[in-house]
Amino acid sequence: MRPVEEHPILLSIRDLSKKFAIDIRSNMLYGIKDMLTDPRIDYDQLRAEEFWALKDINLDLRAGDILGIVGANGSGKTSLMRLIAGIYTVEQGKILSRPDYKITSIFALKSGMQPLFTGRENIFIKGALFGMSKSEIEEKMPFIEDFCELGDRLDRPFGNYSSGMAARLAYSIAVATDPNIFIIDEALAVGDSVFKTKCFEHLKTYVQEGQRGVLFVSNNIRKILKIATKVIVMDQGKIIHNSSDVKEALTVYINNYLRDLPPEKRAAKLNSVKHYDM
Amino acid sequence: MDSETKTELSSLNDEFEQSTLRQMLLRFRRLKEHRFLVAQLVKVNIKRTYKRSFIGWSWLIIAPIFSVIAWVVLHGAGIMNPGDTEIPYPAYVLLSTSIFSFFLGSYQASSNALMEGARLMVTVRFPHEVLVAERIVVHLINFIIPFLINIIVLLFYGVSFSWISILFPLTLLPLLALGLSLGVFVALLRVVAVDLARIMDRLLQFTMFITPVIYAPKVTMPILAQIVDYNPLTYLLGFSRQLLISGEFYEPIAYTFCIVLSLFLFLIGFGIFTKFERKLIERMINV
Repeated sequence: MRPVEEHPILLSIRDLSKKFAIDIRSNMLYGIKDMLTDPRIDYDQLRAEEFWALKDINLDLRAGDILGIVGANGSGKTSLMRLIAGIYTVEQGKILSRPDYKITSIFALKSGMQPLFTGRENIFIKGALFGMSKSEIEEKMPFIEDFCELGDRLDRPFGNYSSGMAARLAYSIAVATDPNIFIIDEALAVGDSVFKTKCFEHLKTYVQEGQRGVLFVSNNIRKILKIATKVIVMDQGKIIHNSSDVKEALTVYINNYLRDLPPEKRAAKLNSVKHYDM
Repeated sequence: MDSETKTELSSLNDEFEQSTLRQMLLRFRRLKEHRFLVAQLVKVNIKRTYKRSFIGWSWLIIAPIFSVIAWVVLHGAGIMNPGDTEIPYPAYVLLSTSIFSFFLGSYQASSNALMEGARLMVTVRFPHEVLVAERIVVHLINFIIPFLINIIVLLFYGVSFSWISILFPLTLLPLLALGLSLGVFVALLRVVAVDLARIMDRLLQFTMFITPVIYAPKVTMPILAQIVDYNPLTYLLGFSRQLLISGEFYEPIAYTFCIVLSLFLFLIGFGIFTKFERKLIERMINV
């Protein structure tokens, strides 16, 4: 087996920065200004009421990586994932990948799912949103049925699903797109523990086959310990720690960014990291 | 970054470095590739509209019938003084409002596409022109069924159609192009300049009163007559109406000019949409 450092790079981010406006009025005003002039000019300069959501981000994702991304709320995790997913445009820096690589992202499991439609109908709707054709979805249907384990409940309205059932279905559809780069942004925060365990086991084997990597955003330390092969810690739009030593990265995160936790809780978290059997 | 990165990887944002024209062509190609998604979203839109209603699709028939009754009552009571119309007034106004609502509906459908799809756009990556296409298809479906009812009403009023009336659907295309050109432009304004978008909404609704929709094209009031003369909708709508009810071409030279104008505005509007739409997605975070 080749060392991880020799695995091909799936995604490379270089000097990526992104700024946003603080309040709605400035957001709209700058929206108009940026339509009239090229926003890339003087992008380095913050205008009044703006802040850096991301600043000078450099990152590589290699085949086989499950990169855990942790950081306090507002640290830039989701903005970074939305840029990688192609939802936001890049004004400064580069996001490099191969054009034939498929990127699938799940930010909100229920996004695009329709409560009045059955689970099976939603497979077609969400599958189409992920860029799959009708024949591709039909081909993947047995896999989705098998993976979500919903049985007859697939033919009930999605609106009647529990959050666990919804998570099972939405996650199964995303996996069926067979992405090279799979972005999971807090999407496994809901759902039953049996299914979550199944997902984690699946992701571990998934990244071992072919050119595949996962970006896994979560502040749940146990989940990161269970699944990540590398971790980055983000704060105020910057990567302040990047390591393939998961325990070390999580210790940095707990010590520096969970300062508000009562000392005994923080100590318990540090202890669980220290004694976790990788 | 090692050498493999330089040789194999390329920028994911290359598409936006291309000219606007190339990006426009790319959007049309993607629309074709995503036709299954358009069909799915159309199905969702229609089912969502009618599923909770006990009478469901019957609303498409009931709504135009109420329109007919309203215009018949207003005309019968002498409230409306429409001028000299070729066909009975209720039939005239029903047909005219139907054609005008086709134009206005094209504008409304496209101008609301981005904001109504905002949540989806910030959570899933897909071509956003799909949202415009979905709403236009739904608009066409919502137009066709009541329009067929209107045709029955026209026959009831003794309006006869000639063979050339079969070209009527083609005459709606310039109205669609004009509605879309304004709609996709206002869709952007709705994200960053809400007040301007609202002003445009009111203006477009107001155009019904400066277009011969509820009155005949020959207007006696001088100022209104001049406005009507310079209004492209007078010719776009008048041509469609005249072709259907008499098989004649209404003001063909002015109409040809208005077709060219509509197509030109469509290209401009679509170009602006293509150039700026993706840049505005991040402005939707706090909508």
